[in-house]
Amino acid sequence: MIPPEPATLVALLAWGTLVGLDLVSVAQTMIARPLVAGGVAGLLLGDVGAGLRVGALIELFALDVLPVGAARYPDYGPPTVAATALAAGGPWELTLGLAGTIALIGAVLGGWSLQLLRRSNAAAIQDATAALAAGESSAIRRLQYAGIGRDALRSTLLTAVVIAGAAGAALLPLDRATAAALTVVVVGIGLAAALGGAVRSAGRGRRRRWLIAGLAVGTVTAMVVWR
Amino acid sequence: MSGQLRALLRLFAVQGAWNYERMLGVGMGYASEPLLEDLKRADPQRHSEAVVRSAEFFNCNPNLAGLALGAEVRAEYDGAPGAQVARLRIALCSPLGALGDQLFWAGLVPALVGLALAGVALGAGLWAILGFLLGYNAVRLYTAQWALRTGLAAGIEIGAAISRSWIPKAAAAIGPAAGFGVGFAVPLVATWFLAPFPARAALGALGLTALGLGAGYVGGARYGALRYALAAVLMTLLVRLVLR
Repeated sequence: MIPPEPATLVALLAWGTLVGLDLVSVAQTMIARPLVAGGVAGLLLGDVGAGLRVGALIELFALDVLPVGAARYPDYGPPTVAATALAAGGPWELTLGLAGTIALIGAVLGGWSLQLLRRSNAAAIQDATAALAAGESSAIRRLQYAGIGRDALRSTLLTAVVIAGAAGAALLPLDRATAAALTVVVVGIGLAAALGGAVRSAGRGRRRRWLIAGLAVGTVTAMVVWR
Repeated sequence: MSGQLRALLRLFAVQGAWNYERMLGVGMGYASEPLLEDLKRADPQRHSEAVVRSAEFFNCNPNLAGLALGAEVRAEYDGAPGAQVARLRIALCSPLGALGDQLFWAGLVPALVGLALAGVALGAGLWAILGFLLGYNAVRLYTAQWALRTGLAAGIEIGAAISRSWIPKAAAAIGPAAGFGVGFAVPLVATWFLAPFPARAALGALGLTALGLGAGYVGGARYGALRYALAAVLMTLLVRLVLR
């Protein structure tokens, strides 16, 4: 890990905040997808390759998640931004496993922080029950802006905490073999996550046949490209 | 800026105050405010009641929330009984949730993410990401403005308008594309990641993939990939510590 310059750190925190907000509260333009969050974080850190590797790895896990209704799910975006800082500047075969692990731990924290946010929003609504029952539009606006503000704070803090965790993890005395083994392990399980999610979504109908067709075409393409 | 455009922009933050009590309710109230301004001048009492209704419990896929918002506002202007407006709102939760989730979260997103992953693995870099963002947001923006316009035009007849529209057909058609997209990406990403490693390590990774798939099949959500990954990392560190 190359310690980021203060300006880069601020840019990462700002990007992590936007990414966290995009997951649920504002816009949902899909910048919260790990592939996007990691790619742009890599650009900010001057190592696009590292950002794409971390983003693609965590994206495999995110494909297992269906963010429907009131489901509880991890928040992969801001931790991917932070973990990219750990992977940047080093050989990816040795940094990806640890960076991926930090991102996954961060995603668990992120999921927990979403529950806190939702409970906090509910408490604010309870406090405003009388104003809502009286039909005060200003009360609705206040609740809306406060909810977005709380999510922005959550996202910034989550990014900062995972960056701190990444800085701590960079100090671990891992030898090359262990670092490479971690990469292989996390990639292997990421592939299981993506495939498992795809198989579950596919059910038994037409979608499963198209999944199998996609696997076949992808395998042939990989054989041709990496021959 | 017209009330309709302001409402459309506000719909992009419809989940801003998401909570387990009213879910999207407050966000719907926030988005409906610009559309209800004329009602405030015409019938202040009705406006006040409409504002109360607009922020009550509601849940659906956020990309289709405009259908419910438009229909509800039109019903308020048409003078439909308050209880009927409230029933309409509740009745729309399940179909708009199911259709929107099928179309976006289980369809368009995995299809485009799969293509973007494949693009990155094949060396397209950030262009693959840009293509993904442009593709997704083009569909999403079109859907959002169409949904609000359709809701406002249909009012209480929104159920019939939805069943006649392109949404149910698109939701059914996108599933196979999602299956193909993810299926296409997985072998490419696997090779991109594992090709530089010795064959033994790559086989070990694929063994973990098979084990993870098996555990997920047998144990379901209890053995989710995230838990499995963190447990495997811990085991790896312990084994390496012992071997050292």
